[in-house]
Parts: sequence; C-alpha cells; structure tokens
Amino acid sequence: MANYEFSQVSGDRPCCRLSRKAQICLGIGLLLLIASVVVAVILLWPRAPLVWEGKPTTKHFPEIFLGRCLVYTQILRPEMRDQDCKKILNTFKRAFVSKNPCNITKEDYEPLVQLVTQTLPCNKTLFWSKSKHLAHEYTWIQGKIFTLEDTLLGYIADDLMWCGDPSTSDMNYDSCPHWSENCPNNPVSLFWKVISQKFAEAACGVVQVMLNGSLSEPFYKNSTFGSVEVFNLDPNKVHKLQAWVMHDIEADSSNSCSGSSINELKLIVEKRNIAFACQDNYRPVRFVQCVKNPEHASCS
Amino acid sequence: MAAQGCTLSLWLWLWLWAPLLLPLLLGARAAAARWSGPGTTPHLQSIFLGRCAEYTTLLSLQPGNKNCTAIWEAFKVVLDKDPCSVLPSDYDLFINLSRHSIPRDKSLFWENNHLLVMSFSENTRRLMPLCDVLYGNVGDFLSWCRQENASGLDYQSCPTSEDCENNAVDSYWKSASMQYSRDSSGVINVMLNGSEPKGAYPVKGFFADFEIPYLQKDKITRIEIWVMHEVGGPIVESCGEGSVKILEDRLEALGFQHSCINDYRPVKFLMCVDHSTHPDCVMNSASASTQRESPSLFTAVHASLIISLLVALTSSSQV
Repeated sequence: MANYEFSQVSGDRPCCRLSRKAQICLGIGLLLLIASVVVAVILLWPRAPLVWEGKPTTKHFPEIFLGRCLVYTQILRPEMRDQDCKKILNTFKRAFVSKNPCNITKEDYEPLVQLVTQTLPCNKTLFWSKSKHLAHEYTWIQGKIFTLEDTLLGYIADDLMWCGDPSTSDMNYDSCPHWSENCPNNPVSLFWKVISQKFAEAACGVVQVMLNGSLSEPFYKNSTFGSVEVFNLDPNKVHKLQAWVMHDIEADSSNSCSGSSINELKLIVEKRNIAFACQDNYRPVRFVQCVKNPEHASCS
Repeated sequence: MAAQGCTLSLWLWLWLWAPLLLPLLLGARAAAARWSGPGTTPHLQSIFLGRCAEYTTLLSLQPGNKNCTAIWEAFKVVLDKDPCSVLPSDYDLFINLSRHSIPRDKSLFWENNHLLVMSFSENTRRLMPLCDVLYGNVGDFLSWCRQENASGLDYQSCPTSEDCENNAVDSYWKSASMQYSRDSSGVINVMLNGSEPKGAYPVKGFFADFEIPYLQKDKITRIEIWVMHEVGGPIVESCGEGSVKILEDRLEALGFQHSCINDYRPVKFLMCVDHSTHPDCVMNSASASTQRESPSLFTAVHASLIISLLVALTSSSQV
C-alpha cells in the first residue's frame, strides 16, 4: 500500500504543498514587501506644496533680493560695501525654507540678525504707523534720517512676499498664507517683528514717530509700533520720543496731539522713563504733502 | 659696532636714493588709473538683473513680457569692446528688447538736478524721467567698461568724455536719451537748475544734443520748463535769461509751444523740506501768482476779449 495520498487537484490550490512555517514566512515577507513599497511611495513621491489663500512669493525673488542688497551696499550706503549679499540671501532663506510657513519662530531669523549689523547714528531714527508712504517720501528727500526700510534688511524686503514649504527647499511661488488664515507665525510677519525689535533696541538719543492724525486712533496699540517698537526702546539710550501727527491735507486739521489716543502713547512712553513730545503737522513733512496740493491753505 | 655701521649706511643709502625712488613709485600709482572716470561697478550683472527683475515685476505698468536674461545678453556685448570704441548703436538690440511705452504727459527731462528729479518723480508714480524707464533704470548710477588691452572688465577706472567720445557709459545714455525722446508725448516737462554757475541749460549736453533733436513734434502738445533755484542759493539764471533764453528761442524756432516757470511750486516744496524755516520757503499766495506760467500771447488776448465782453454785457444791461 502506497504511503502517500493524492490530494484533490483543483485550480485554486498550490501545486506543491508548503509547510506551515514556510507559509508564515512567505506571508510575513509579502507583508513587509508591500509595507516598504508603500513607505517608499509616501516618502519619495513628489508632494505638492501646501496651498494658501494669499499672494505667493514675489516672482524673481532671489534676483530682486540680491539686486537690492547690492544697490544698497555698493551705491546708496558704500560704508557697507563689505557685506556679502549672497551670504545674506542664503542666511535669509534658511530661516523659512523646508518649513511649514505657520511655524516660523524668532529664532529662525537669529542667524540673519547676527550676520547683518548696521549702526545708525543717534537722533536719526524715524518710526511710523499707518503713514508709510509719507514717512518714506520724507526720509528719501531728507536723506539723513532712517526708517526701518532705510536700513539694509528693511530696504531689501520692503513690499516683498515670501514663504517656504515642508516638501521643498525652494520658496513657494504658488501661494503663501493670507492674514485671514490664522497663521500669525508666518515668515513675513516674523521677519518684520524681529527686525522692528532690533531697530527699536538699537535706537538712541531723540527718536521720532510719524502717526496718521486722520485716523480715529493715530496711536494703535496692535500696530507694530504700538506692540513691538515702543516696548523695545532702551530708556538708557533713548531719552525722548517725539511724535509727528500728520493729517491728510484735505481734512480739517484737528488737534490730535491733545487727543486720547496720543495721550495713551504719552503715558506708555513716560512710564518707561522716556520723555514725550508731540507736534501736529510737523512743517517739513507738511511740505512733502504740499507737493501734491500746492495751493492748499496750509501750504501758504 | 659693525651692526651700527650697517644700519647707518642703510639709512644713508635710502636717503640718497629716496628722491629718485619716490617719484617713480608715485608715478606708478598714478599710472594705474588709466581713465578719469570711476571703474566698473562691482557685481554689475547682479545689480542689472536685479533692477530689471524689480522693474518688470513690481513697477511695470504693462504686465511683463520682458526677458531680463535676454536684455542683459544684449547689453553685455559692449563689455567686449575696446573702451573707446563703443557707439550708441551698439545698444540698439538692448534698447529694442527693453523698450516700453511712456505714459502721455509724464516725461521729465532735466539737467543738473538728478536727485531732485528722482524725489519728485516718486518712482513712476508722479512722472517718469529716463531713470524710471526700464532702459534707463538698469544703468542708473552705474559705470562699466572693458579693460584697454585685455578682455575682462576694468574695475579701476573707465573713460569719460574727457578721455574719449565713444565710451560705453556716455554712448548708453545717448542711446537711451534718443529713445526716451522718441517715445515721449503730450506735455513735456523740463527741470533746470537756475543756480548752476555754468548756466541752467547746457548748450552742449544730453538734453540739447540727444533729446531735443529727437522730440516728435506731432506727438507733443507743449513743453513746460521749470527753472529751479537752490534754497538760499544764487539766482544765476531765470526764465527768459541767459541760457534759458537760448533754450526758449530754440524751441520757438523748432515750432514747439512752450512756457517757463521760475521755482515751480510743487518742486519747490520738495526742496524746502530740509529748509522749512528759510525765508525762501515761506510760500504765500502773493508769490504764487508771479510763479504762475506766463502763457503765450493767445491766452492774454483771449482774456482781454472776455473782459471786454463782460463789460459790454453789464453796460448793455444797464441801459
């Protein structure tokens, strides 16, 4: 009698019979193979960048950045001609590339801040709040006083947009977080916060601030000036803050220096042991406004 | 003792030969600067490309279809030429690729007040001088030239018109000026410096030789001249005087309608920003009336006709 049996031959049965051990090994091996293929696909498949509602990184950002840096250091302020603009660009990018643009921290910009040091003369600092265009017109023609955007880093970044994405080491040229997307720690906001703080910390002597007297609140506590700059002035270096409250030239001239908003600023400043002074429609800046409205009564 | 003797003879030797060596050394130094102008601006290409990118991306009135790389390639052909053999026509392709229209009534020509012009034009927002047009913007305040006897840029010095006429920078500005004039239309503004000792209107200069001749009479309505004087500065010339008169006569002969204003008020305010308490900066309506443009005879006749008509009407109504 044969001591082997014929097993039933059917289509869905392996021709050779594997031992239980072999079956288990094969099963585990297959599972591992499938798992590693899935993992490889997840890791290596090019992921699309995160999509946001806001404007993307400015087109040709690196060229514009480099060009501005060189114009500033070679032509506008030649005393800074030894700054390495390529290095500044790379250090700047490292603050936010390959990162989620909602998770940027002050420390991310620390290497940049350490790299670019610029000493400004005392009594030549001009802060501004809700009066950017007028402040810049004034400093451009006056030439000896500096807003943040007249310093190297401010000059380079003014009006530009940038952000990165975790999936790439390049900047995101498709979209960047919009202010309405609950993403306060984005690369642009953090940058301006960090350099505004440094700008205020470095100020000395008598500092100026240009405020917009045509608003109901010329001094706005949630502005960068109201929340960052005012509190980072060093009372050991800054002994006076002078406010210029400028009104739109067509609007009625009201006495904002004595208003409650400015009074709030006065209290904050004096509490920090810094003297406060205020002037409505500071004449030299009024002249800048008069360029557009030369026949206005206040321009006579 | 021997050492002392050595040192002594060394000093003696130097003292004897110094008068001969020193001039040679100094002469060598002076000889190093071949030309009278500043050398090529460092990082010229990056500045050029950066400005081009900025202009076409951020400042452009027309959505950019400008290829900055191609514009640079066209420009840089002059960097291979002998520094005294660069002609305005060498920039033809560069101009062709970077050319764009200039808004009507927005042209501003000038002489001897570059910074004031830049402030007043407000980066194309108010007016568009040549330095705010793409082909003028990329080269503004820059300098460039090839080395005299080698390829590669000369970073020490570059020729000016004193050295030779056909230098790279002057030819650039000639070429750009001619194009700028050709593309200007409507009201043409000209800002001159009435405190300039050599005269407000340089009879030989970019405006005189490369701009006026290329103005297109059929596209231009009139030319308005502003003669600005420095705050507290000398009044060397004003409208109708000296070289300004020469300019006015020339424009008249060419058939352009023109007018002239002394210390055009909007620009004067800009000049007064830094001198707000100076007597020259006390602007009152009385002085404003003398600054208003003195138009042509046509308007004066027109005004007197209206007055006569009014008088006639009132007298007839009284009958």
